[in-house]
Amino acid sequence: MKFSNPKIPEGINTSPDHPLKEFAWLLGSVSLLIVIVISVLGFMAEFLATRIPFSYEMELAGRFADTNPDPSPTRDYLQEIADRLAAAQDLPGEMKITVHYADPEIANAFATLGGHIVIYRGLVEKMRSENALAMVVSHEIAHIKHRHPVVALGRGVTVGIALAALTGVSANIMADRVIGNAGTLTDIGFSRSQESEADATALAALVAVYGHANGSTDVFKTFMEINHSQPLNPPEFLSTHPNPENRIESIAQQIAGNGWQATGPLTPIPAAVIDSLNAD
Amino acid sequence: MILSNLESIPYRTVSKQLGLVQGSTVRAKHVGKDILAGLKNVFGGELKAYTELLQEARKEAVERMVQEADAIGADAILNIRFSTSSVTQGAAELFAYGTAVVLEDQ
Amino acid sequence: MHIDLIIVLVLLILGYGFGRHAEKRHYQSIIRREKEMRGMLTFSAKTPPQDLKIANTTLVGGNVVISVDYFKRFVSGLRGLIGGRMKTYETLLDRARREAVLRMKAEAQEQGAEMIFNVKLETASISKGAKNTIGSVEVYAYGTAVTLG
Repeated sequence: MKFSNPKIPEGINTSPDHPLKEFAWLLGSVSLLIVIVISVLGFMAEFLATRIPFSYEMELAGRFADTNPDPSPTRDYLQEIADRLAAAQDLPGEMKITVHYADPEIANAFATLGGHIVIYRGLVEKMRSENALAMVVSHEIAHIKHRHPVVALGRGVTVGIALAALTGVSANIMADRVIGNAGTLTDIGFSRSQESEADATALAALVAVYGHANGSTDVFKTFMEINHSQPLNPPEFLSTHPNPENRIESIAQQIAGNGWQATGPLTPIPAAVIDSLNAD
Repeated sequence: MILSNLESIPYRTVSKQLGLVQGSTVRAKHVGKDILAGLKNVFGGELKAYTELLQEARKEAVERMVQEADAIGADAILNIRFSTSSVTQGAAELFAYGTAVVLEDQ
Repeated sequence: MHIDLIIVLVLLILGYGFGRHAEKRHYQSIIRREKEMRGMLTFSAKTPPQDLKIANTTLVGGNVVISVDYFKRFVSGLRGLIGGRMKTYETLLDRARREAVLRMKAEAQEQGAEMIFNVKLETASISKGAKNTIGSVEVYAYGTAVTLG
């Protein structure tokens, strides 16, 4: 019997592929898969949520929001601006806008279900003209007009369920992270496009009421100041809102495209309101 | 005690078959080794502590099997097989079994 | 979310770098020792051929436990979603098998043997428990070493 032990060549039971190549391919495929799934769910949510009648929204909101907020000079003033802008935006009859003025020194405002808008004192104090304030109010009314609050709610539920289902599947925590992050990033992409849509509608209404677009970028300049005072700002793709710089840019393009007046006389905020702000 | 995983000893004949003998141990490692192993999880490479742990456990399993064979008067254990399983976090069972036989005097 | 991503990235880089380096060195060592021990023959056959003059037989074995690095585990997690060959684990098992066989040969050499028959390999996963624990594998190679005489 003859015995020998020849050398077996390498690479038969192992792959010559570079591991980084496989890594990139896998990461890309999984991310793409998640982006597609979440995008489809997002569109579905939008389609279905807009079919919910606004009256349902108002009833739902009525359970936790005050439908008759306490009067105050500032609140009544903001409501009056809102009513004019709502008319300019051609809101359907059943959509009633209720403005709430909140005391905290936060420089922000938001729109929620049932036509309720909240504007914080911090933002009101920073606006130097009625036009600038009106842009803020108009933006929030635009969210309501486009049914963004209910769509965001629907999207939150469907995407939330989808991500919860998908992240349980893999036996590996790292894969869960990739899925979760890809899903979240896609979702806030939707949020950013909602903001851009609201900006465009808001600007058109502002110009319709005041005749020109002056003061429309003030609120974004304020946000830019706030950003610069912070050491670290996340990049746009990690935010729910587009960059203030980009929003100003879009507004400039919209003004130019429609041939609107970029300059014009700014309506001052009534003295009574300013006194009331300083009094507290 | 002659140990072999062949079916027979090449230069000896089996005079009596005494049946299956087994040896097993379940060993756990202590926390210190666990922490080091946790680091190795990031960097990869051989877990020497685990290797030694399992080596000793296997030796003990074989010793227990030999003990069983001794107790029934065998000369050799043939067709030895091993089995390893992880029974719970941080513990492994080592199992050795074979056929105990009595060999004819040479 | 940001800190999370950064930690994962750092661990991935560490795992990839150290893992590749360790693997390369290990393979060099394996290939060198396989060359040295080319004379030690191994067979999976259960019975040695009739015409072989055997003096002694003894049971020999070699084991090794190798762990995956963070990069490999990450890739395997993703691969677990898509399916297909886990190429990164292939090298892990290849290394472990060859290392175990080499250690078995070394023990046989100590005993003065020249051939090992009925070589069997056993692979076990040492990672039961919480999801987050060790991805490591143990390979045990054993056989009956024969000295000729």
